[in-house]
Amino acid sequence: MGDTSAASSARQEGHPTAPSHRAVLEGIGLTPDATASAMTAPSRTAISLTVNGVNHRVDVEDRWTLVQLLRDHLELTGTKIGCDRSECEACTVLMDGKPVYACCQLAVWADGADVQTVEGLAHDGRLSPLQQAFIDHNAPQCGFCTPGQLMTATALLNTVPRPDAAQVKHALVGVLCRCSNYNAIVEAVVAAGAQQGGAA
Amino acid sequence: MSEAVQPLTTIGHVTPRVDAMARVTGQAKYTNDLKLPGMLYARVLRSPHPHARIRHIDTREASRLPGVRAVITHENAQVVWGAGAVAGGRQYSDAIKATTLQRRYIFNNPVRCVGDAVAAVAATDRHIAEQALALIKVEYEVLPFVLEPEAALAADAPRIWPEGNLCPDVHNNFAPMVSDLGDIAAGFAAADQVFEQRYDTGFVHNAQLEPRCALAHWQGETLTLYTPSQGIANCRHDMARDLGLDDQHVRVVCHYMGGGFGNKNQNQDADLIAATLARHTNAPVMLEYTRRDDWLGMHGRWPTVQQYKVGVTNDGTVTAIQLIGYSGMGPYRKNAGGIGGLELYACPNRYRSLSSVYTNRTTSGNFRAPSEPHGVYGIESIMDDIAYTLGMDPVEFTVKNMLRPTAEQPFTNYSLDACIQMGVEQFDWQARRKVIPGSDAGPIKRGAGFSFMMFRAALGRSSAIVHVDARQRYTLFVGVTDVGPGAKTTMGMIAAEALGVPLSQVDVVSGDTDRCPYSVGESGSRTTIMTGMAVVEAVKDLKQQIAARGMPTGNDVFVASATPSPTTDGKMRQCFGAHFVEVEVDTRLGTTRITTYVAIHESGRIINPQTARDQIRGAVLQGIGQALHEDLLYDPASGQPLTTGYYRARHMTHLDVPTIDVRFLEVDDGYGPFGAKTIGESGIILAPAAVANAIFNATGKRMTSLPITRDKILGAMG
Repeated sequence: MGDTSAASSARQEGHPTAPSHRAVLEGIGLTPDATASAMTAPSRTAISLTVNGVNHRVDVEDRWTLVQLLRDHLELTGTKIGCDRSECEACTVLMDGKPVYACCQLAVWADGADVQTVEGLAHDGRLSPLQQAFIDHNAPQCGFCTPGQLMTATALLNTVPRPDAAQVKHALVGVLCRCSNYNAIVEAVVAAGAQQGGAA
Repeated sequence: MSEAVQPLTTIGHVTPRVDAMARVTGQAKYTNDLKLPGMLYARVLRSPHPHARIRHIDTREASRLPGVRAVITHENAQVVWGAGAVAGGRQYSDAIKATTLQRRYIFNNPVRCVGDAVAAVAATDRHIAEQALALIKVEYEVLPFVLEPEAALAADAPRIWPEGNLCPDVHNNFAPMVSDLGDIAAGFAAADQVFEQRYDTGFVHNAQLEPRCALAHWQGETLTLYTPSQGIANCRHDMARDLGLDDQHVRVVCHYMGGGFGNKNQNQDADLIAATLARHTNAPVMLEYTRRDDWLGMHGRWPTVQQYKVGVTNDGTVTAIQLIGYSGMGPYRKNAGGIGGLELYACPNRYRSLSSVYTNRTTSGNFRAPSEPHGVYGIESIMDDIAYTLGMDPVEFTVKNMLRPTAEQPFTNYSLDACIQMGVEQFDWQARRKVIPGSDAGPIKRGAGFSFMMFRAALGRSSAIVHVDARQRYTLFVGVTDVGPGAKTTMGMIAAEALGVPLSQVDVVSGDTDRCPYSVGESGSRTTIMTGMAVVEAVKDLKQQIAARGMPTGNDVFVASATPSPTTDGKMRQCFGAHFVEVEVDTRLGTTRITTYVAIHESGRIINPQTARDQIRGAVLQGIGQALHEDLLYDPASGQPLTTGYYRARHMTHLDVPTIDVRFLEVDDGYGPFGAKTIGESGIILAPAAVANAIFNATGKRMTSLPITRDKILGAMG
């Protein structure tokens, strides 16, 4: 999709990995004066990144968000868009090990990054202990927030291997679940940690 | 009424969801995850004004933008949104659609609320579609607006419809809906004391994590619609009716969806707009609602004003209940606008006048138990007040006055006493309740609240097909979608139990009107009991075939189907519940913290204990959110909505959430699939009332307005 012929027209202007917010907003037509820029082809930047251990070189439009890149262009639709404005954290992925909102990261900022999504949690068909705990404790209801809960909890378990319920709640505070299955999600993360810690 | 249920093999045992693996690995495909060759992306332009006439729309520049394939407006796309326009909330009736005076189109002129759809664009790229929206020039004549239902009924109020702002009934009569049981005047005459109080409740959004979206694809005269739907058969029928097609020319598909809580009942405007754009462009069209689109396109729970008058004798017997209610429906009517709760009481003299009123807020739709939580909050608040004024324990007052089976109206079973008793003991009600409300010394005060409910569990028509092949694999076809409660798993468990085989031998095919028979739809807490009964009946047929012919061999497949319409033999069938909550109110800050929450439910036999528990826990937490936080606020000066998002509406997070202690009292009343009753909606019904009563018990101040936000508590404390 998109217009690949104008791929590099604006690449030399400024820092390719950090366009201004103003430029981004104008690019997606959210400001009243978007009219002027509407007729011009979007600028593109070539980036390389690792997603779930696989290297990708992608010519991204500068206005693409990371979640768009993952979902629309790398066919990784496990990451969900609940609000597209950093309110719900359903889109959380790990970037160099840290949880980020993929809806509020530009794809160009992921140049050189190591990204992990929900599709990267299982290895050789074996679920991570956290994924198994989510199944055992019925942590997903509708499942739409589940990838965000899983990725945020994965980051927590990487740094705090055996969190208690209070630590889980603090770490996951921003990841909303409107099914309000919060009790089960916390139980699952605590159980996964206990199991992980016990095995270590 | 605590006879133990007979243990079963599959049912009643904690069972992981059959699709759990897909849900935790990111493999589950939701509507917006789908992609078809040549698919276009669509966006909707919405009114910035609460009420305005569109003088002129200029779409020329938007249409010329490279990549734009279609721009539609009220001028070139006049599709009636039948599920939304029908008077009286009778969404399914073709006859009513034909006669209704006040039609909602997918694009309306005049626009009647901020967020009313004005135009839609389909383009090769979502960014181009968004750019095109900015190029559409709309000339509005701004009209006066009205936001509050009582103000909208004033003689000089701005008219949202030519006939005025009172919603008509199904026969186009413009009068309040009145229910007049017994003799209300005699009831008040018999009272020793009469209590009056006014309550109001907020405008609460379903706020499901997945925004509404739709992918429409025409092949010849047949429309395939991929959409998150709480009822694919109902959606198909609504789409066919609104687009002038036969049902057989519409296919609705939904394999995974990200919640709904009533927001995805029937067909949605997103479905019709996507289908119209796909028709105009001859290409598949994916319409994605933004979070703000979803917030403003439809808002589940209507705001209400409730004026109660209740008569009691000095021994605490209720003799008369009167409610004059107003529900703000927004400018279009998608639901009746009910205010439930009076029917919980045995008092024979009950009068209710309910005015559903058009306003220039956004449309009210359906939200989990559409009529109940706000109404139960109102009536349980005044009843709580009366109990304390009479020096009675609210539990004792309830047990004296709640509806019970009579010779004229028997129940299939009745568990309210047992639920209440179990809760009193589990929660330690006598120790936690303050006999004198607000008696804690110091600024941080604790108190306990109670509420109770019964909710319909009646049976009705639905269908199922089951077949078995020579591998001894059973395949169940049910037209259900899994909104989140786990319907696929529940249906599979009922089939496995009825067949006498392990669940692993049963495949469940669902979510596709071309492959599955009619199902009642995931609204009204009906799927488990109604489609579940159809599964039981279809299995019965299949087992008879197997008994007569042996198991199939070779290429043979035995097929059985059933469309039962079971009744409850004239008996009332209800699920029951009692909630007990303790709160801690910081009277300096106005904050409320839930310290203990006990939810006792009788929902018949429990199919899957884990998913059933989490239905109640989730519903209770949504109810707490309604009690304490959530409201779509409007600026009275501009008519602009202010809290159009999770943060602004203060939705609860991990840190706000207490642990909810759920207990089921299991009973098999001999009806429904293995005795199962309704669960999904029941848990939210009692929560706002229980929390509000606990805040009264803690502070001694009666909070008469939901949500009970900090400013209201600080105002009450003086």
